[in-house]
Amino acid sequence: MSIGRNIRDFFHGAAYGRYERELRLQAAELNDLFLLLCYMEIVGLPNPATLYLLDVYPYLLEQFHLWHRRMGMDRSPLGNLPCC
Amino acid sequence: MTTLRRLIDKRVLFFGGKGGVGKTTCASAMALAASQAGKRVLLVSTDPAHSTSDIFERPIGPEPVELLPNLQGLEIDGAFESQRYVANVKEHIKGLFGPHILKESYRQIDLAASMPGAEEMALFDRIGALIRDEDDRFDLIIFDTAPTGHTLRLIRMPELMEAWIRALSRSRHAMLGIEQDEATDPVMLSLGQRLEHLREFRARLLSPRRCAFVLVMVAERLPIEETARAIEQLQEAGVTIGGLVVNRILPATSPDPFLRARHDQEQIYLDEIDRRFTSHLKVRVPQLASDVHGVPTLEHLAGVLTTEKALSS
Repeated sequence: MSIGRNIRDFFHGAAYGRYERELRLQAAELNDLFLLLCYMEIVGLPNPATLYLLDVYPYLLEQFHLWHRRMGMDRSPLGNLPCC
Repeated sequence: MTTLRRLIDKRVLFFGGKGGVGKTTCASAMALAASQAGKRVLLVSTDPAHSTSDIFERPIGPEPVELLPNLQGLEIDGAFESQRYVANVKEHIKGLFGPHILKESYRQIDLAASMPGAEEMALFDRIGALIRDEDDRFDLIIFDTAPTGHTLRLIRMPELMEAWIRALSRSRHAMLGIEQDEATDPVMLSLGQRLEHLREFRARLLSPRRCAFVLVMVAERLPIEETARAIEQLQEAGVTIGGLVVNRILPATSPDPFLRARHDQEQIYLDEIDRRFTSHLKVRVPQLASDVHGVPTLEHLAGVLTTEKALSS
C-alpha cells in the first residue's frame, strides 16, 4: 500500500468521518422513498408509471432485500412481493 | 375552406368524438383519400371495440396488414400489447442477471403487468412508439380513437407520465448523489431513456405542423356539447384542432313530415354549430342512402371529405 494513499485516506477520514454515518442514514432513507415510489402498486397505491419500471425491478430486488433486513424483518413482509 | 384536404400533408391525424357519430367511417374515408392521393397511410384503431375490419370487410390484427394499395390497417389491442411489452422486458433482462434474481424478477413483472391500468398503459406505449418512431413505410398515420373521454386521457398521458418519471429520477438522483455515480446507474439510465421518449412523443403530438385532431359529430344536442368540451380540453393540452366533421346531415327536401321536422330541428343545431365553433374548419357530410361499409361507399365519403364541392357552410 502506498504512503500517498494512506495519507489521503487519513485526511479523508479526519474531514468526513463523523458525517459518514449521517450520510449513510440519509442515503438509506432516500433509497426507501425510491423503493416505495417504484413499488406503489404492490402496497395498493395506483402508479401510472408501473409498466415503465418493469425493467428496473431486477436492480431493485437487492435493495428491497437490504430494506427488509434493515427494518428487522428476516423475510419479505409483503406476500405479493417475494424476496429471499 | 370546407375540406379536410390539406390535413393529408400532416404526419399524424386523430379522429375522435362521441360514440356512434361515425369516427371510424370518417377516419377510414380519410385514410382512403390520402392513400389515393399518393400517401402511404397507416390506419390505426385504438378503440377496444374495433370496427375498422368491418368497414374494410377483412380481418385486421395487432400487426399492420395491407388493406388497399398504399393503405395498411392496424387494430391495437391492450391485452396483446401488455403481453408483448412484458415479453420484451423479460427478453431484455435475461442476459443481465443470474437465474435466482431472474426468477424473482419475472414473478414481480408478471404481477405488476396484471395490475389494473397495465393494458391501457401498454396501449399508450404502442401509440407513443408509432408516433415517435416515424416508420419509414408510412407518410401519414391516422388514429381512429375510442370515444372522447378515453382519448383525452390518452392525449394527456405523456405529460402525466413525464411528471412521474421526472419525480422518480429526482428521487434516485438525490440518493445517488450520496452513494454512487449516476452516469453508470442502470436504473437512472433506464429512467432517462423513458423521459427522452416521452418528451419526443409529446413534442410530436403538440406540433401543429405534424399532428392534428379531427372531431366528428352529428347535429344533435349531446354531441355538440361533448365536442365543445373536447375542443376546450384539447386546446388546453396544446393539441391542434384540424377541423370538425358534421356527419349525417338530412336532405333538405322531403315530402315526409317526420323527416321535415327532424330537418328543421337540425337546422337550428347547424346554426348553433356555426355560431359556437366559428374559428374551426367545418365539413358537412350528408346522410347517405345506405350505411358505409366496403370500399365503394367509402370512396364516395372520401370525396365528400376532401373536395371543395361538399355541402358548404
